[in-house]
Amino acid sequence: MFDEHDKTWRFFKIFNLIIVALLCLSIILPFLNILALSLNEGTDAQRGGISFFPREFSFENYIEVFKQSTILNAFGISLFRTVVGTIISVFLTAMAAYALKTKTLPGRKFITFFIFFTMLFSGGIVPYYLVLTELHLTNTIWVYIIPSLYSVWNILIMRTFFLQIPDSIEEAARIDGCSEFQIFLKIILPMSKPVIATIGLFNAVAHWNDWFSGSFYVRNPELKPLATILQEMLTRQQALADALMKNSGAYELIEKITVTGDSLKMATIILVVAPIIMIYPFIQKYFVKGVNIGSVKE
Amino acid sequence: MVMTADKKIETPSSLKKKKKVKPMKINFENIWQHRAQYFMLLPCIIFFIIFSYLPMAGMVLAFKEFRFDTGIFGGAWVGLQYFERFFQDPQSWTFVKNTLIISSMKLILALPFPIILALMFNEIKNNKIRSFFQSITYLPHFLSWVVVVGILQSILAPNTGLLNQMISFLGGDGSRFFLMEEASFHSVMFWSYVWKDIGWSSIIYFAAIMGINPSLYEAAAIDGANRWRQIWHITLTGIRPTILILFILSLGNILSAGFDQIYLLKTPGNMEVSEIIDTYVIRTGLQSGQFGYATAVGMMQGIVGLIVVLAVNRFASKKFNTSLW
Repeated sequence: MFDEHDKTWRFFKIFNLIIVALLCLSIILPFLNILALSLNEGTDAQRGGISFFPREFSFENYIEVFKQSTILNAFGISLFRTVVGTIISVFLTAMAAYALKTKTLPGRKFITFFIFFTMLFSGGIVPYYLVLTELHLTNTIWVYIIPSLYSVWNILIMRTFFLQIPDSIEEAARIDGCSEFQIFLKIILPMSKPVIATIGLFNAVAHWNDWFSGSFYVRNPELKPLATILQEMLTRQQALADALMKNSGAYELIEKITVTGDSLKMATIILVVAPIIMIYPFIQKYFVKGVNIGSVKE
Repeated sequence: MVMTADKKIETPSSLKKKKKVKPMKINFENIWQHRAQYFMLLPCIIFFIIFSYLPMAGMVLAFKEFRFDTGIFGGAWVGLQYFERFFQDPQSWTFVKNTLIISSMKLILALPFPIILALMFNEIKNNKIRSFFQSITYLPHFLSWVVVVGILQSILAPNTGLLNQMISFLGGDGSRFFLMEEASFHSVMFWSYVWKDIGWSSIIYFAAIMGINPSLYEAAAIDGANRWRQIWHITLTGIRPTILILFILSLGNILSAGFDQIYLLKTPGNMEVSEIIDTYVIRTGLQSGQFGYATAVGMMQGIVGLIVVLAVNRFASKKFNTSLW
């Protein structure tokens, strides 16, 4: 175009690139800092001065984390709720979205509004909590899975995707004598892999990251997920981490104690973040697709 | 000639496509015909009745005294006692004020950042470099606030934290405990919020920019508009509906300032500015068991949020022809 050689524009382009690169650095560097701290001897880290490389390199913090039965157990709980919760939720969400996609369904508009309205208004956390209590869901592992089976947003995204599948495909199957369930399982689901991946990943990340239900709906320490353990570490700072260490007998076993509450916290942060960062490069394109499907209005 | 012929063939089929299929009348025959769909929807409807509508009914607790033995609907009526208590307590206004300050910072002050980032991404014409940068900026969205606050605690720690080390390296006082200071709460809260969601929120604006017809830019260039004017008149005008819709959607949150982040950033040092309605409801309700009172406070919050969304949506559909539903 005519102003391609405009000097100010070219200057701006370079400036633009630098700003974006700086933003990306501001995202990467904090993680490098945490990683460096988690790989550094805890007592040495207390002196400060560690930026992006460990000074006294040591795996001690991670060894300690994996010795903690609480943390290992929490890792298992997180894994369980993420896998089981996501699979059930995606299947049920797809079923509901498929039904809502059927244009001829009597009362479709009312049912859609009935679901959509819950996004605009809710009864608040206290009645919700009391409902969970009356259902005897609190203090069980199901409190992680059952109340998060459906989300309005996910149903709407799936439905929008299903609506793009031409009706003629279903009609052909129906003429061939397929039942609705067969159409759903054998035609719609295999055609919807991208949206299933997207919703599944949204779900999985939400499960993995959720600390709230573990903190407020569950008392039994053996049922707490990893995110809640980390939250308790943050809130109670030193106290909990130190108590954890005393329980594990670390003080007797290791002559020179190098692990501190803080360094244990750093290793736990990495443990919470690692699974997400490791799968992130493979999944991020699905996320972007999901957001864009969701933004398409009917 | 050929083109018109093509068009003539195309018109009937596109008309056919656009013909709207309406839901059938509600009668036994039609319902029976769709029994499979209803069966598929059944768990979903039961779910929303139990986990959304039952708690809505449970809001009667705001007018009742809660007793564990009789459950949600059993206690004695207490009238508007809880509401009176809330409005008479001078502390309540601090929570409301804190909530409004934090949420308006997030809804209004933070709004331009992802838009600007989307515009900046749009000017990076090398696809590989751009998508590399984009994927990095999306990352913090997928991390729990627990992780982000954990990182903040470490970076902002007095003496040993990165920031304080930098300050003392530059000759300043490196012992400030930012997370315990009232004065730094708002900036920590705001910038960590922008940092976490700037990339993710930019996706939708970027998609909207991509959807703008490129011929508009060519036409503007021919008319003599330079790059800056093109950005202003075409790009920004093109994504205005998107900005509006997202803004309307977010306004419903005017009274909820983001529980996770604030709860985790709340320390004894910054309580005066960091206690919001959400954290107050959790504290009085779930932590000290004043169920009736906390329900009343939460209910007012929910109703105001609903009214705001409905009002803004009405305004937007009249004024800009943009509506949520």
